[in-house]
Amino acid sequence: MDKVIVCIKGVPKPGTVKVDPETHTLKRESAELILNPMDRSALEMAMRLKDKYNCEVVVITMGPPNAVPLLREAYSLGADKMILLSDRLFAGSDTLATSRVLARAISNLKPFSLVLMGLKSIDGETAQVPPETASLLGLPSVTNVKQISVEGEKVIVVRETDYSEEEIEVDLPAVLSVTPYLDYYRPPSFKRMLEARKLDPLILSAQDLALPEELLGLKGSPTQVHSVFEKKIMERGEIWEGSPEELAKRLIDLLKEKEIFKN
Amino acid sequence: MEEIIIAYGEYNNGKLHPASLEILTPLYDIAERLGKKLVLLLLTEDFERAQSLPELKKALCHYVWIVSAPELKDYRDDLYSEVIIELSKREMPYGVFFPATFQGMSLAPRIAGALQVGLCAHVNDLKLEGDNLLMFRPTYGDNIIASLYSTTIPIMATLSLGAFVIKENPFSPQISKYEMPPEFKWQSKMKIRKSKPLIKEPSRLSVAKIVLAGGMGLKTKENLALLRELAKVLRAEVGVTRPLCHAGWAKEEEMIGVSGVSVRPKLYIGFGISGAIQHTLGMENSEFIIAVNTDKEAPLVKMAHLSLICDAGELIKSLLKQLSRESN
Repeated sequence: MDKVIVCIKGVPKPGTVKVDPETHTLKRESAELILNPMDRSALEMAMRLKDKYNCEVVVITMGPPNAVPLLREAYSLGADKMILLSDRLFAGSDTLATSRVLARAISNLKPFSLVLMGLKSIDGETAQVPPETASLLGLPSVTNVKQISVEGEKVIVVRETDYSEEEIEVDLPAVLSVTPYLDYYRPPSFKRMLEARKLDPLILSAQDLALPEELLGLKGSPTQVHSVFEKKIMERGEIWEGSPEELAKRLIDLLKEKEIFKN
Repeated sequence: MEEIIIAYGEYNNGKLHPASLEILTPLYDIAERLGKKLVLLLLTEDFERAQSLPELKKALCHYVWIVSAPELKDYRDDLYSEVIIELSKREMPYGVFFPATFQGMSLAPRIAGALQVGLCAHVNDLKLEGDNLLMFRPTYGDNIIASLYSTTIPIMATLSLGAFVIKENPFSPQISKYEMPPEFKWQSKMKIRKSKPLIKEPSRLSVAKIVLAGGMGLKTKENLALLRELAKVLRAEVGVTRPLCHAGWAKEEEMIGVSGVSVRPKLYIGFGISGAIQHTLGMENSEFIIAVNTDKEAPLVKMAHLSLICDAGELIKSLLKQLSRESN
């Protein structure tokens, strides 16, 4: 276990999202970016591996230059290297186009042992990028992982499926998405926070990654938006106003009438 | 070519995941209209046991294909996806669809990546417009829905849980064993060492008759606990909104919405839920909708059959107090 790569994503801070009223696309530049909360789990797992195996942790994000503070946040948690994948050509990427960029950047960092990501982002919520990137890299992927340990050339992970909790032996290297529910998240180190202020990430463009334009961004994305429309809300129903006590009584009477509550 | 549509039949421990039957409903309709055949695809180590599943005789599809090999005993993401990738390359399906279960969401992206095709997530409606298959899901903005299409074949998507109602097939589909080519490598970089069944009860949310749902308007975790108490009294199931999940108050399996579970109970009561579209698409088919909110202008208040304008936490406390008095 020498190198662990963590992919993180900047998501719009809830409440600051501005939507273009014409195109209904997200104005990402206008939004304040925060670290996708679920990526905290991937970073925490990486730091636990660093504590145990003294491995190098490289953190990667794809996004506009305003994602740099997120990389610094990861550095303050213990990441060793920061890489920003940034290019106008990446804009509008769906999960396949995004995975292509990540897979190429990850591949350039060979040799590595593990790639960690959050289970999903709280904006897109597709959870597709970790397995899709693994597939492009020809690597195994395990999703919703809650424990990671290393035995020689294998990693032992515990994942939770819809049916069971499984202990799995996986050949390295592998791509893992980490559960959003860890028992503990370390706070950032103040010393590293100060250090990070003076550090800049390595910035890589499409050209640096030798990726052809037709595979990137909106153009390289096979899923396309056909139209966006507002869903009409049904007519307004009945409105009751009053004190909670009064309303509770009326509601109980209604539930009895509807035979939902019987005493 | 492109004559079949594949639906993933999630088969685990002798049981077919009901979500696999749900997705057949819209896909069968599309297959019929396009003159294609819908195939329900199962992967298993035991062909005999799988083919005798009673649900398969009524499954709304034209064919059931069962790939059977001892290596398919455990769900291993890389091998399972490799089987479907190989099968897709040979059969050239028009579409490959999955329920948005744990397996579906971990398999579909691997397959889409390998085939270099588009994949839509959490689709809750499908419609044909001419020859174009449109996939619907909510998007950014208030009450905004996007329809998406894929420029690549096979068209791929994961379909929202509970978004479609299971329909029975008046005819029985033809069930057969699908033989993989002899050169196929049954290898995996994963080995399941131990498997411990989850003790948690399977969520009954999607089939519940009464659903009490809580949102950020509950304000405190204690109020959510009181909502659970109320649910016990009313024999209801509890659901939550996405922000409550993200706040760590509840687990994902309790999340109602397009990226969670869709519900269609006889009675739905939303406590302190404003009604973001991601949530409302998951409950709009409820028979009777009651909203409890301090904000008269909240979207859920507008769409509800009845709205109670008051603080959700206070109402829950009053309900509990009055109900306990009644039962004494």
